Amino acid sequence: MRWSYIAPRLGLLVILWAFFFFAFDPLLKWGLVKGIEKGAGAKAEIASLHTTFLHPSLKITGLAVADSKEEYRNLLEFSELSFSAEGAPLLEKKLVVDEAALKGLKFGTARKTSGRLPFVKEEPSPMVDAMVAESKGFALDRVADVKGDFAADYKVDPAELESVKLAKELEAKYDKDYKDIADRVDPKKYQAALDELKARYEKAKDEKNFAKQAKDYAEIAKEVKKVTDQFKKDKAEAQAAIAAAKDAFKAVDEARKKDTANVMSKMKLPSLDKASLARMLAGPAIAERTAQGMKWAAMARKYMPDNNKGVLKNEAKRGREVHFPKEHSYPTVLVRRVYVSGELGAEDPLDYSGSIEGLTTQPSVYGRPTTAEVKGAKGARRLDFRCSVDATGAEIKTDSSLLYSGIPVKQMSFGSASSLLVNVTGAAAAFDGKLKTAGAALDGKATVKLTGAAFKADASKIKMEQLRTAVESSFAGLNSAVIEAGIAGTVKDPKLSVDTDLAAALSKAFSGALGAEVKKAQEEAQKKIDEALKPYRAKLDSLASAKQAELEGKLKDAEGKVSGQGESLLKGLTPAKLKLPKIKF
Amino acid sequence: MNDTAPNQIGGGIMLGVLIGLMPKATLTAQLLIVLLMALRVNIPMGLLAAIAVSLLNPLFDKVTDPIGYALLTAEGLRPLWTKMYNMPLVPWTGFNNTVVPGGIVLWAALAAPIYFAGRRVGAFYNEKFRDRVMNSKIVKGMKASWLLDWYFKGAN
Repeated sequence: MRWSYIAPRLGLLVILWAFFFFAFDPLLKWGLVKGIEKGAGAKAEIASLHTTFLHPSLKITGLAVADSKEEYRNLLEFSELSFSAEGAPLLEKKLVVDEAALKGLKFGTARKTSGRLPFVKEEPSPMVDAMVAESKGFALDRVADVKGDFAADYKVDPAELESVKLAKELEAKYDKDYKDIADRVDPKKYQAALDELKARYEKAKDEKNFAKQAKDYAEIAKEVKKVTDQFKKDKAEAQAAIAAAKDAFKAVDEARKKDTANVMSKMKLPSLDKASLARMLAGPAIAERTAQGMKWAAMARKYMPDNNKGVLKNEAKRGREVHFPKEHSYPTVLVRRVYVSGELGAEDPLDYSGSIEGLTTQPSVYGRPTTAEVKGAKGARRLDFRCSVDATGAEIKTDSSLLYSGIPVKQMSFGSASSLLVNVTGAAAAFDGKLKTAGAALDGKATVKLTGAAFKADASKIKMEQLRTAVESSFAGLNSAVIEAGIAGTVKDPKLSVDTDLAAALSKAFSGALGAEVKKAQEEAQKKIDEALKPYRAKLDSLASAKQAELEGKLKDAEGKVSGQGESLLKGLTPAKLKLPKIKF
Repeated sequence: MNDTAPNQIGGGIMLGVLIGLMPKATLTAQLLIVLLMALRVNIPMGLLAAIAVSLLNPLFDKVTDPIGYALLTAEGLRPLWTKMYNMPLVPWTGFNNTVVPGGIVLWAALAAPIYFAGRRVGAFYNEKFRDRVMNSKIVKGMKASWLLDWYFKGAN
């Protein structure tokens, strides 16, 4: 050992430590800012960041994250985040924080400088794009021409119809799916298994050793039960597949409705069903907010811990980490409670406060879900937000609800300036939303009630005076509205549904003014689409009914075999009469 | 900075191979680097060996990972691992990562051959390259550096 070497190295270590000590905070701040900017796609600022090592703590002040969609607006900002880590768990490579505080959390605040980042492209959302396109393309400009029979000249190209494309896809899918299911419920498979069991039974029947015979019978009975259970499982899956196939027809019908709306739009005529009108009016705004929420949810899911309950985890860059039982088990990172407080709304802000409990990177070790509860009240306004994220099981489940009532709405609008715009002023809004997720599956609904409002329709794009007046007057009489949205499907492929009583008012106006003419044009468009779809639909119908009949036949055949032969086997599985030894007295 | 005797080069390479096999973000690797610096072994050769082995880690991991896994999941050793897992600071060594115990076992098995091969490399280097390397601009430049001079002043 060369001690003369060690002294200068220790000196170097001291220099390194000093560098780390003084440079750590700026480096961490820089890293945090870059990380947030990458996630948000907009500028982020931190006024100060301070860490201490002897009593490990972190304090961040003045954090602001810009909104990637609005250059001079912050997505969120907070005045202070502070916490102290417990010392003992750090020695075990664990970061445990008992209490943290997040103060002055605000959303949508104005910023003085641009929050735009160079070279950042906003990822388009197909859901928003589709809703905006539908709203913009909602044809009203040639609605007056509907009185003529010009719709009759319009030609429908089957290749462009969504319903035709879907029917073709389903046809290809049917062939494959049904073959897979038919193979699974093939009666020959069960027959072979039952024949083998019967052979075993015949062999066991001749067995002289009563104990061995009973054992063989018990095993055979177990196997028969296994075959029966397997059949039940296969049957349930086959029936589910048949039901799913029937649902697919509903999808073709839905596509047919959309095709009708598209054709009407191409003919520059509006589709007047209530669902289309609701999508046109409230769709873009709801889709945009939903897409923004989904974006944040997707980001949260990305960083959410993957729950792998096994002892072996692939969390190391190299090799695998094997975990052992802990006397005092801490997750790798745990924040037991974060106190949150802040303001909601720019003008006359609503103060709120609450807490987030159980933030951790290892929920299965912590064993409890992460929960959040935030409440606030001011005058007529009430805020109640609850959220639970349970990642302790095999799949992540979330359950959240938001109630926010008495929101003053100075001005808002529905629809699109290029078709029909409805301006709402002086309303009080109440939002009630619930969302549940299980894995990637989404299930949620939200209702917005507008009361005490003044509605004014900008119908300048409608050239037909009679209709324009009808539309304007139908909104002029309103003072409240309900907008409902539902979300289903999966995170990657969300299905959004929109409904509003504003659509009913609009529909009524259309029907009153020229409902019959538009309806006639719509029927003609529908007829053309049905004609184009007919051969594909017929082919799909015959294919589906033939395959379903074949599958049902196979199921019946297999059921007969399994229940008949299986039961007769089970009946025979009674051990031979017990021959008691003759006892002579 | 001289430590160029064949046995010092062999020792440096031997230690460098062990450093190379370890995941670098563990206390084990950091302590081994300090040990490399503190022992009278050839540091540049040690660092070169560590870098070379690190680059080949995807291949070595195929051997060290199953060895480490077998050790870490062996019932007989479970009490020891559990005790270590519950001790302060020890988890920072990364002992529960399969490639750490696996790497140590592989290195222990190969240490002697590596040392003797390293000695031969050292003798060959001294005979063929040492003067050329020591007279190269880069080494002269490094020797002229006051920082390195101060750092390595205890070498001789």
